[in-house]
Amino acid sequence: MWYIWLAVILVIIVALFILIYVGYYNKIIRMENRIDNGWAQIDVQLKRRAELIPNLMETVKGYMKHEKEVLENVTKARSALMTAKTPQENINADNMLTGALKTLFAVAENYPDLKANQNFLSLQDELTNTENKIAYSRQHFNDSVLVFNNTIETFPGLWFARRMGRKTREMLQIPETDRAVPKVKF
Amino acid sequence: MEKKLLVEDHIRRNKRNTIIVCGLMALLFVGVIFAVGYFLFAGNIFISLAFALPIAIGYVAITYSISVPTVLKAAKARPANPNNRDEKLLIHRVEEMSIAAGMPMPKVYVQDSEYINAFATGKKPENSVICATTGAIRKLNQEELEGVIAHEMSHIKNHDILIATVTIAVVGAISLIAEIMFYSMLWGGAGRGGRRGEGNAIIMVLAIVLIILAPLFARLTYLAISRRREYLADSSGAYLTRNPNGLAMALEKIKQDHPKTKPKGSKTVAPLYISNPFKQVNASGLWSTHPPIDERIKRLRTM
Repeated sequence: MWYIWLAVILVIIVALFILIYVGYYNKIIRMENRIDNGWAQIDVQLKRRAELIPNLMETVKGYMKHEKEVLENVTKARSALMTAKTPQENINADNMLTGALKTLFAVAENYPDLKANQNFLSLQDELTNTENKIAYSRQHFNDSVLVFNNTIETFPGLWFARRMGRKTREMLQIPETDRAVPKVKF
Repeated sequence: MEKKLLVEDHIRRNKRNTIIVCGLMALLFVGVIFAVGYFLFAGNIFISLAFALPIAIGYVAITYSISVPTVLKAAKARPANPNNRDEKLLIHRVEEMSIAAGMPMPKVYVQDSEYINAFATGKKPENSVICATTGAIRKLNQEELEGVIAHEMSHIKNHDILIATVTIAVVGAISLIAEIMFYSMLWGGAGRGGRRGEGNAIIMVLAIVLIILAPLFARLTYLAISRRREYLADSSGAYLTRNPNGLAMALEKIKQDHPKTKPKGSKTVAPLYISNPFKQVNASGLWSTHPPIDERIKRLRTM
């Protein structure tokens, strides 16, 4: 009779093992998808911001005829963003654009007619919105990477990750210049 | 890095406390079932479970399924209008917080009221609603509004609406069962449980006491759970924005802003709001759904 009990216990242990294995496998896959999705999100927001720029330029150039340099900086930064290839180039171009836009909005303070323009106000709101979304997308990406790395670097995730050949992922390094710009600009 | 760890500690502690309190609630429920079994079914646990469980589950299921439209109707909320700048900015803040939380974006509603307040509701994250008052979007600056929205988003993310609804329903179920017990004892006589002799008199007394006090304890437990979840939403929200001061400043404004007269409406929607519209802000102690506002501000400032 004892061997029947042994068989039952063995079956239960094997079943448990399979359940836990499947559980961790799925968990790791889900986390990775979250990270990849997060990365795509950032890209979407960056593109959206680039798209808003021409509209902004059209609205502004009638009013700010004498601010050629300020306007040119924005256009230059936008081109850099469109042609950036590596993630690092992307981040650098993004920084440049943020700085150029900041200057443009600061200078716009001197043009009350421009500030009263509905189109301008609307674009300013949209740009603030997009920049916040970019910042939060990056934050969410890093959060997802942190959770993933924690899972695969501690027990028992460590064991499963090795079996699946998964390595830790890198977080986005936001360069110092970006930190000088407050994340929430209102 | 330092700051973030502290907020995470808050989150961990609040989650642990919730589990403890929920455990107490579960024990209470088991106690009530036991008492029921003792009286109605001469100590047979299985029959009393078969009796109590359908009541409890049915109650919870029904309350849960009608929760969203009920709450929105009670608040007379309307969808936010993107053509109104203040409401458009509210929509922007909700969009940004959904990205930070990695959640699908909730619908945005507005409630016409001069007082600063906001609430979240919904059966699951894919299907949820965040509502702010017109007073809130007018009186709070964007940083403060962001803090408030992050708090509400955290309620959705932490499944607080589900927890609140289920807990309230369990409280209701416990009260209902206790009432049934009470009346059946009144009419059926207490002799049914005395089959096993005098030594059971003590148990009988205990069971009676439990039946009378259970609804009271259930309510107290639910309120404790509600307070824990509010602290958790505060810390989770601060983690989302990486800026606890935003919400702290909003709470300061809410503190100054509280209504002098009681608004109309059912009190059960109170816990979904960021600040209980039915009470004084610093009312504390066992009978509040929300922790005292000064304590909330203090915790946020020291994160």
